[in-house]
Amino acid sequence: MLKLQHIGKQFDGKTVLDDISFEIGTGEIMSLLGPSGSGKTTLLHLILGLTGADRGSIRFGDEDLTRVPMKKRGFNIVFQDYALFPNLNAYDNILYGLRNKKGRVNAAEVQEYIDFLELAPHLNKNIGELSGGQKQRVALARTLVTKPRLLLLDEPLSALDGVIKESIKQRLQSIAREFRLTTVIVTHDPEEALTMSDKILIINQGRIAQFGTPQDIIDRPADEFVEQFIIKQLSIKRQNILNLFGEMYA
Amino acid sequence: MHKVKPELRVVFTLLMLFFAGFLFLPLLVLLIRSLETGEGFSFANYAAVWEGRDLIEAVSNSVKVSAAAAVIATVLGFVLAYSIHCTRIFRPVKGVLKTAVLVPMLLPTITYGFAIMYSLGNQGLITKLIGRNLFEIYGFNGLLTGYVIYTLPPAFLLIHNAFGYIDKKFIIVSKLMGDGTARSFFHAVLRPLAGALGGAFVLAFILSFTDFGIPASVGGTYPVIAAQLYQVMLGSIPDFNQGAVIAVVMLVPAAFGIWLLRYLDKFNFHYDKISAIELPKHRVRDTGLGVLSSVIVTGMLSVFAVMFAAPFMNGFPYDTAFTLKHVNGVFASGDLTGVYKNSLWVALLTSLLGTLAAYGAALLNVRTKLKAKGATDVVSMITNTVPGMVLGIAYLLLFNGSSLKGTFAILVLCNIVHLFTTPYLMAKNALSKMNPSWETTGELLGDSWFKTVYRVVLPNSASAIIEMFAYYFVNSMVTISGIIFLVSAQTSVVASKIKELQHFAKFNEIFVLSLLIFFTNLLIKAACDWMQRRRAVR
Repeated sequence: MLKLQHIGKQFDGKTVLDDISFEIGTGEIMSLLGPSGSGKTTLLHLILGLTGADRGSIRFGDEDLTRVPMKKRGFNIVFQDYALFPNLNAYDNILYGLRNKKGRVNAAEVQEYIDFLELAPHLNKNIGELSGGQKQRVALARTLVTKPRLLLLDEPLSALDGVIKESIKQRLQSIAREFRLTTVIVTHDPEEALTMSDKILIINQGRIAQFGTPQDIIDRPADEFVEQFIIKQLSIKRQNILNLFGEMYA
Repeated sequence: MHKVKPELRVVFTLLMLFFAGFLFLPLLVLLIRSLETGEGFSFANYAAVWEGRDLIEAVSNSVKVSAAAAVIATVLGFVLAYSIHCTRIFRPVKGVLKTAVLVPMLLPTITYGFAIMYSLGNQGLITKLIGRNLFEIYGFNGLLTGYVIYTLPPAFLLIHNAFGYIDKKFIIVSKLMGDGTARSFFHAVLRPLAGALGGAFVLAFILSFTDFGIPASVGGTYPVIAAQLYQVMLGSIPDFNQGAVIAVVMLVPAAFGIWLLRYLDKFNFHYDKISAIELPKHRVRDTGLGVLSSVIVTGMLSVFAVMFAAPFMNGFPYDTAFTLKHVNGVFASGDLTGVYKNSLWVALLTSLLGTLAAYGAALLNVRTKLKAKGATDVVSMITNTVPGMVLGIAYLLLFNGSSLKGTFAILVLCNIVHLFTTPYLMAKNALSKMNPSWETTGELLGDSWFKTVYRVVLPNSASAIIEMFAYYFVNSMVTISGIIFLVSAQTSVVASKIKELQHFAKFNEIFVLSLLIFFTNLLIKAACDWMQRRRAVR
């Protein structure tokens, strides 16, 4: 269980996050949703431990992690640009962290991740030879083999095109279910957040606009911003599809 | 919370102490010595130098000849770069032009002067081919020729690189809009390149103004500031305080020039996206510029032709029978092979330690959150400003009584600091293009910062590191201005030995040693290019 209480953060005197509190359960997927500059990436870095909070606390289970350094939190992240190491091939990238965590994962488990993410045909490829979706899966495998307690994903679908995006979406959901891995995803796309997550935290100008399940947000948008930012965007999309294909695809 | 590790602070402090000791302190001592008189501190030394008029004449001559050389080098550099980027000359010819124009960079400037003497002098190779003297080579003309050859390659490189950022699509758009040739050339080529052309002029001017090798060989009785400085420091009656004044005077235009270079950069156009487009064929333009460029490069290289011929003749120009006696003589002489080994040793140590220092400084600047990391940029700006001769004198004044005097260490240290800027910028450029999340990812996967640098950042910087090594090596082999005041009988290197051999008119030995430098540099460059290409293929 991840629990944040009254988190606040300022950069150069400007408030970036203000009084952020929420709680998510083990194995749940939570999306951090908001427009550009709303503070969602800062909040992700704060959970990871890359940035420190000015106020408030971060707890995971019984532990208070507020002052615990990033390396000791046991969390891991897949960055938006994957941060794969180009001097190593796909397989060596996946195994990179195991040298430092001997005994934590055995060969069969590594193979399980590789099979799960359908990476076997690409293991000997250089990073430059992989497609966007393959890179995404290599980065996921590299993170998963270290068995993190919490998985953070920074805009995991933004660089992917249509069909691959849908397949990665399903895979991320399967990972959370299969490995009971609590997952926090940053996104600015309401459709992504609503179709992938158990909970959604909507942030606007550093403050929580609404926190709840996708159904809560659709049924009872908390304010004008949520109404405009989420519901309106989805209605326009729905209308476009209706115009193009008629009721059949709506 | 992702704080800067104490080890990084230690490395940073050591690096800054290094530059405090070998850059800032020597310059401070130089400034103090320029103000020091028997009765305390005053501007009396400056007044004395000013009243002597010699310095004023030398500075005025330096400005005149350097400005003339800079104009010619900029124009020629532009013609070459334009031919490569904006014509449809046969591609392999472009490749040859691009490589050939850089050849002089593999030789010490002092060799240029002797090559000019043996090519354009009364009995010179080119004089004989043409049948008459083109001009009097000692003094203004010789200096001008030498400076143009010396500064054409860097001026060309600067304009050539700037052309890479010019979108040629605009030339086509301008033509489609109905512009005539002149208007189109001005708006789509000259104007976007204005900053680079100004930069090339300033760079060529500074290089000429501060060079010592060319005046040392063909300066004749035409006094320039670098020769004046050498005379005052190492002449019959050395005057260190007066030398310090001249060094400070030399520093002023160099500092102004560097400021101007940065200012001129603002005039460069930066297009968002560069189209990979080739201009349509134009027979007159392509043939004309193809011939002109070939003439420029051939003319420049023809001066060096004699260097490859004279050492293999019995006694150029009177007895042209083939012989290997001069080459054998150099290899048989323990003294000359010794200085070659010294040069190799100094260049190797400089390139290894220099690359380490420049890469380390760039790494701390780009890939850490150290608060004072901007200090490495300040160091790089200062090393870019200080001419080699000024740094050499500053070292001489500071370390004269120390155990560093007359050692290889002082030569290596001087070269590392003198040549620091370019390799540092190479490393910065490479490191800033790398994914900023690698260190965080490495840490999350259990590595320390140093381990991530070793396992990921370093292997991905290999190409830049090879380039930095080659730069340090080649320039250490050819530099003379930085170390001329610091070599001793035991630590003499090829470039300084050439100056010594000049007194005994041993020109064959000078050319053989120059060839040794040339082929060594060529070998190192070729090996480094090959290694870079191999890494690029991977």
